[in-house]
Amino acid sequence: MDLNLIKKLIKLVDTSEITDLEVEENGLRIKVAKKIRVNGSLIQPAFTQPTQTSVQISGAEIEKNITTSEETKANNLHEIKSPIVGTFYRAPAPDADAYVQVGDMINSGTVLCIVEAMKLMNEIESDVTGKIIKILVENGKPVEYNQPLFLIELS
Amino acid sequence: MFNKILIANRGEIALRVIRTCKELGIKTVAVYSEADKDSLHVTFADEAVCIGPPLGKESYLKIPSLISAAHITGADAIHPGYGFLAENANFSEICEESNIKFIGPSPQMINAMGDKSFAKDTMKKNGVPVIPGSDGLITDLKSAIGLAHQIGFPVILKASAGGGGKGMRVVWEESEFEKAFQTASNEAEASFANSAIYMEKFVENPRHVEIQIMGDTHGNVYHYGERDCSVQRRHQKLIEESPSPIVNDELRDKMGSAAILGAKSINYEGAGTVEFLVDKDGNFYFMEMNTRIQVEHPVTESVYGVDLIRQQILVAAGHAIEAEPGKPFGHSIEFRINAEDPEHGFRPSPGVIQSLHFPGGFGVRIDSHIYQSYTIPPFYDSLIAKLIVWGRDREHAIARGRRALEEFTVEGIKTTIPFHLKVLEDQRFLSGKFDTSFLDNFQL
Repeated sequence: MDLNLIKKLIKLVDTSEITDLEVEENGLRIKVAKKIRVNGSLIQPAFTQPTQTSVQISGAEIEKNITTSEETKANNLHEIKSPIVGTFYRAPAPDADAYVQVGDMINSGTVLCIVEAMKLMNEIESDVTGKIIKILVENGKPVEYNQPLFLIELS
Repeated sequence: MFNKILIANRGEIALRVIRTCKELGIKTVAVYSEADKDSLHVTFADEAVCIGPPLGKESYLKIPSLISAAHITGADAIHPGYGFLAENANFSEICEESNIKFIGPSPQMINAMGDKSFAKDTMKKNGVPVIPGSDGLITDLKSAIGLAHQIGFPVILKASAGGGGKGMRVVWEESEFEKAFQTASNEAEASFANSAIYMEKFVENPRHVEIQIMGDTHGNVYHYGERDCSVQRRHQKLIEESPSPIVNDELRDKMGSAAILGAKSINYEGAGTVEFLVDKDGNFYFMEMNTRIQVEHPVTESVYGVDLIRQQILVAAGHAIEAEPGKPFGHSIEFRINAEDPEHGFRPSPGVIQSLHFPGGFGVRIDSHIYQSYTIPPFYDSLIAKLIVWGRDREHAIARGRRALEEFTVEGIKTTIPFHLKVLEDQRFLSGKFDTSFLDNFQL
């Protein structure tokens, strides 16, 4: 059994995005699999024993942390979420100007948008002071309870 | 036929409705509170909309959120399930006004049967036997006591707007009457914001036998036999069966006809249940009518070979009921499995399900939304699964029930499975000779 081969395979899986690798040569089949941690929960891919020899790759579990864009959010960013289910509108009427644009400075109480529910236009106000970094929903699209609408950089 | 149905409910019944919708080729929308985002009905539906925080009144009971969710998903019908807004006339009306078909009765039908005192009057006028009692609400104490003597003590005072055992007091003799009346009124005011009280003869230790009916818009009203729901704890049903051990073909015809009469008198549309009390002499009296699909509908489905949710949807879409019901075949029993600890006063036992195995095999049906690693939220009722068994006769159904309960494994939380197994050892239950007082004297 070539231990160097096995070490190379482990390194290959470790340093790449590969999660499962199976190699067969001269009647020897080796499989290396790794656990991936995504957003704090563990996903274990299926691990099968080689059938022809009793090679055990104990300790070949490699943990790799993959961070997502949500985790790199800076501490002073705040999401404004929809308090109701409905349809999101940027402006009070189809031909009117949008309430706010990206880059606008807003205060607590500034009206940011409308969420329409059952024919009622509900004005959604900001609960913080800061700058609008991103508008997360397209005009006229449906939104559900607590769906993020705006990303605000707090002052 | 509907293109898309929004299910305004959660848990096992939401899943139940979604399953039938899929079989009919109808798209489904699940709604969920934040506490239910990992719920199975959310996963199984074609679309899902978060409608609010965990509390019922801020999510599943919040009409604007439900209507709005239907609008943004383009749902053309709403199935309300049971509980929550299923018997809310206001909701039925708002659906109508919003051009969404409410899969259930009209606001008028709901109101007619929701007012218990009025419902009784309606039934009486249509020749349905009712429990002797006051003609409407009690207005003055003196004549009420006179009436009580006429009917014969014991009598029961009940809240007109009530249910679930609240606002009820049994009076055994005249000297207790005034105090009982005051307490019942106060409780009714506190629980339902309506202190109106009516009076009935108190039928001691009755059996609770209900008739399943279904009406369509083509003039058909059918009955699908009876369910015996006498095994109750604090007026909450725990075990239901069909047929009832005390109902023969003749009694079934009589009760079924009475139920149909009552339903026809209000031009009833959709699924409904007419509840009767049956005394030890086999006399039956109308108690109330529920204008919704009920938790225990599967036992009827098992012995009549019918998908009741499917019929509900067809009826709501304007079709006739698919077939006239035949005779019941075999015997079916449902065991409500709750996340409760029977050894500690049935206290709720929410938490994580560590290990789960559903029983299977011929004649075993599980209606449930739970899965291994699921966390049961503490905000809603404790029903986590319904185990429904079918057998050639009652004895066979009981043996199958026992086997299935023994196979049913739930670890990580406490359930009422051990309790059900104990009931299946009790001679009174096994003989079929029991009534609604059965669990009062039950030793665990």
